[in-house]
Order: sequence, then structure tokens, then C-alpha cells
Amino acid sequence: MTQLRIVHIYPNEMNTYGDCGNLLTLKRRAEWHGLEPVIHYYHAGDVFPKEVDIVLGGGGQDSAQGAIQDDILRIGDTLHKLVDKDVPMLMVCGTYQLFGKRFITNEGQEIKGVGIFDVETLASPKRLVGNIAIETANFGTLYGFENHSGRTILGKGQAIFGTVIRGNGNNGDDKTEGARTHNAIGTYMHGPLLPNNPVLTDSLLQLALNRRGITHKLKVLDDHFAKQAARNAQNRPY
Amino acid sequence: MRKTVGTLLGKSVAQAVKLRGKSGGQAMPGLVVESILPGYLGVMLKQLPEGVVLITGTNGKTTTTKMVVELLRASGKRVLTNATGSNLTRGIISSVSQQATKTGRLPFDIAVFELDEAYAYQFTRVMRPRFVLGLNASRDQLDRFGEVDTVARLIGDTMLSATERIVTNADDKRLSLIADQAEMPVSYFGVAPQLLKYFPRDDELVAVEGSVPTLQAAEVPLSVELLSFKNAEAVYRVGKKRLATSLQVTGQHNFQNAAGALALVQAILPETDPAQLASHLAEVKPAFGRGQAFTLKNGSMLQLNLVKNPASFRQGLASYAKSNTALMFAINDNIADGRDMSWLWDVDFTSLQGQKMVLTSGSRAADMALRFQYDNVVVQTIEPSLETALHSLSKQPGDKVIFATYTAMLKLHAILGKQAGKTL
Repeated sequence: MTQLRIVHIYPNEMNTYGDCGNLLTLKRRAEWHGLEPVIHYYHAGDVFPKEVDIVLGGGGQDSAQGAIQDDILRIGDTLHKLVDKDVPMLMVCGTYQLFGKRFITNEGQEIKGVGIFDVETLASPKRLVGNIAIETANFGTLYGFENHSGRTILGKGQAIFGTVIRGNGNNGDDKTEGARTHNAIGTYMHGPLLPNNPVLTDSLLQLALNRRGITHKLKVLDDHFAKQAARNAQNRPY
Repeated sequence: MRKTVGTLLGKSVAQAVKLRGKSGGQAMPGLVVESILPGYLGVMLKQLPEGVVLITGTNGKTTTTKMVVELLRASGKRVLTNATGSNLTRGIISSVSQQATKTGRLPFDIAVFELDEAYAYQFTRVMRPRFVLGLNASRDQLDRFGEVDTVARLIGDTMLSATERIVTNADDKRLSLIADQAEMPVSYFGVAPQLLKYFPRDDELVAVEGSVPTLQAAEVPLSVELLSFKNAEAVYRVGKKRLATSLQVTGQHNFQNAAGALALVQAILPETDPAQLASHLAEVKPAFGRGQAFTLKNGSMLQLNLVKNPASFRQGLASYAKSNTALMFAINDNIADGRDMSWLWDVDFTSLQGQKMVLTSGSRAADMALRFQYDNVVVQTIEPSLETALHSLSKQPGDKVIFATYTAMLKLHAILGKQAGKTL
């Protein structure tokens, strides 16, 4: 059976908003598609695994973000190389910010990121919280929930993840949501994102397989609960 | 003067709301009095000879407050408290005006209020409490609070406003750290080291396999310790005494809450015999919609259980979800429930694999069903209407359990109250 190696980075620190749901969804769908998921939890100080098919990261408390900052800079080169090799990644909220160039706190202090996305994030006293929907070029309409105080600004030429249909996205002003570099996606959408948007999940799996040159036809799974949940989400208040 | 006017105003607004058959009877009088007569609450509460006690935290506020109130009453105190779940300042103003005499006198010795963790500190600026019980800080309604550290800070600020003593949970690292640094006496309650696994702290809820932070026993002396529990029986150590008691209040989390209640009452009434307290504790019945049992027309039992966040959901499943019961999950996403459904993914439902009857309901019934799909739990029916879902659940053979978010619980409680007419 084809193994699918998923690396979940900083699972104990970056896990605030049901982020483990993304991992569970990748794992289960891989199983349902006849693949063998192998999960690797990467903790600060560990050696980053050599064989990687998908990398996942979640959101964290401000205090946790400080705690892992040194470590993520340490593995920055490794992450850059994986991105250049088209490894699919999903970085939600806090890890999205750390994948950017820098984060400026309320006190004006600069926290350096790994710079996979040409974005910078400014702290803001008001949180952007609510149901969000975006339109993406490759994965259709996606539904989720956002809850972040950072305002993220994209550099010139940085590709976006999607365009906001409802909600705030990166900063509440320019209708952009998230960022995409090769197959690495950064986003503020949780909910969690993957169970609610099976098309995106299967695309990540497909991208991972394509990259390794494996022809494995993904099955058509029963996603009527996800569709029903998405229809609901459209009509719930922001 | 302000006492009389405010009280009459509160009473007449309450009357008007009641006459017009409107809901909101608990908040409206407080809102009106607060805006017309600011300062009313402070003036009123100053009358109480033994002051004010606050209970706050993420989970267990209502049940613990009920325990503390009943223990104090059993010890002969006249206790003023707020109506169940009406735990914002306005709810307390409503309760005060309704329980005062027409001349604005409060015929009570002491007040024990349950306060929402976000509003508790605001209340302390009206009236400094003598004692504050901080129960726990856990991920809850993060669309409202942002993060768990914020929740802990809010509860901490409230604890630090106590004038005599803080009572808190030694096993909640965030809260015990705050209490430890306070320049004030602290009473800690906790559970025996071997029981820690039944009462996971926030960080353990989401920690991944193989990296679970080691469960450390509390490093502070405990004034009340839960030594063991089995079914409804619990053994506590209060000071140096071992005390066995039996609880009518269901749910294993309530063994821990009861330790908090005992520690608080001990602090308020240090002269009371702990054995007396333990026997009074056995008399306390479940609070509104918190593991409350109903007998249905066909004679079967139905238990209604509030779930608010990963910790309470997990405790509820461990306590009530038996393999032979029909289960209904009623998930709403109104403001009081939390708009974000992400929290459902921080609860492990794999224990329900193979469950015979699982029904989901509420405005987010499909999200709950989706969550079950990924834990390989089979969902029989998705029925967003609570009324219809309750109807089909009632027709199932045997005992039933409902897990409901706040507004779903209120609605189901109202329907059940009409149907069954009798609570156990």
C-alpha cells in the first residue's frame, strides 16, 4: 500500500482551534482512498523528517508563537526546500503568520518569520471573528471560520489563496484571503478547513501523489454531510 | 432612596416582562435599573453583613454555586444568589431587586453569585468579594475570548480582587500559578494523583499521542482533596478528615466541583464540621439542564446534559454515554453557544463507534454529523428541528441521553418540562 507521510508541526503549541481536525481528515481520507497514512509529529528541537508528503500547521496562542519562533527559523531552510519541491502544505493562522516574512507586535517589536510567503502581519487590537467563505482558482468555493487579530498584507507578486466572498480574510480591506507559494497554502480559515472542504483535502492528497509520480486514482467518497454543513454555513450570521 | 426606587423599578420591569409573556425576564430588569440608577447594585450589596462570594471559571459554575448555596443554607445562613445561568451583572441586578423587600432591604446574610468569566472582573469594581472561587480555565467560546490565556487572565483578575481568600483548583496550572503569586491566603482543592487522568487540563485535551505532558500532582498543600470515586460515591479528604459521601449530582466532573465547593464553604465557615458538610452535599440535586433527568410518558428515562466546550463535552461523554443508550446531539451556533464549530474537533468521539442510535440536531446538526463521520461513528438521522428530533428520540427503546449546547438545552428543557411535567 502506498504510504502517505504527513508531518504535523508543533502539534502541542499550535492547536488552538480544532486544528487536529485537519490532520484527522487527511488521515481518514487517505485511508478511505486506499493509502496508508503515516503521521509524524514534529516538536521543537526534533530532527525534521527526510521523507515528507504533506506538512500541516495550526494556530496558537500568542505565547506559544513566541515559544516556537526560534525553532521554526532553525528549520526554515528545510521548509523552503520542501516548498520548492512542490510539497503540499497547509498552514493555518499562527503558522501562516510564521511562514510570512515578519510579524509586528502592538509594541512595534518585529518577530521574524521563515519568509515562505511574501507577507507581513501587523498586530491589531480588534479581532476579526466569524464565518468566512472564499472563492479559489483551484479548489472552488471554500467555507470556514476565522478568528485572528493579525492583519496580513501581501507583498507585490505574492499569489493569494482565495478571494473573500464573505468575512474578512487577510486584513478585512483588500478582499484577499491567505497566500499560496507552489503548493504551500497559508490561510486564516479554520472550522477546521479540511473536513468542511473535501475538495481541498483530496487536492492536497492528489498533489502529494503527483509529486512522487504515483498514479493512484482517488475514490469518490460520500461527502453529503460536508455539503450539508457548507449549505448551512452560507446562511449563518457572520 | 436609591435602594427603594431601584428595587421598585426592577420589580415593576420584571412584572411587565412577565405580563407580556416575553422572554428575557432575567436580564431586562437589570438592564433598566443599571441604566437609570447606576450604583444601585453597590448600595444594595453593602447591606449584606457577611459580604459577597463569587464563583467563576469555564466549567461547573452553575452546579458548584448550587452546592455552595445549599451547604451555606444548611448551616443556617440566609443566602442571596442569582438565578441559574443569569450570570452577567444585569442578571445579578435583576436577582437583587426581585429578592429585596419593597423598601429595598435585603434580608440575607451573604451573597453567593455565579459570574461569567468575562464579566466577573467588571462586577468586582462594583463590590469587592470576600472570597473568590476560580474553578478552571479551559478552551471555550474562543470566538468570544480569543485564546485560553485570556480566559485564565480574566479569571485571575477576579481572584486577585478577593479581600479575604482565594479558593482555586490546584490541578489547573494556569489558575494555580496566578493564585500562588497572590499576596493573600489561598485554599487549594484538587484530586489525588491517580485520578488526574479523569480530569484533564486544557493542554491535555489537545496534546498528541506520545507527547502528552506528564500529569503532575499538585505541588501545593490541598485543603480539600478528592481521594476516590465510584458510581455516585466519593471519598474526600477535608483538612485531616476522610469523608465518604454520595452525590445525586451526576457526572464525574462534579466530584471535582464538589471539592471546590467544600473548600470554599470551609473557608467561609471554618468552624463547621466537615462531616456535616459532606452529608449536606449528598442532598444537592442536579442543576437546570446539567445532567438533569426526566421521565418520559412511556416510563423511560431521559438525561439532558449541557455541553459548552471540549472539556465539558468530554466529561459528559465519559459520564453519560453508555453503549445501550440512544444518544442525541443538539448543536446550535447562536452567540451564547459560540458561532465557531471548530471546538467539536477537539473532542474525541471514537468511544461512540458501534453506538446503536446517534441522532444529530440543532442549527449545526450537519457539522456534528460531519464530525462523527471522521471518527467512524454512524449517524442514523440528521434532524435540525429540536422538537422533531426530540420526538423521534423519545420513540427509541430504553434510556436516552441528550448532549446539547446552551440555547439548544434551554429549548429542549422547555419542551421536556411541558411533556414530562415531572423532573426527577
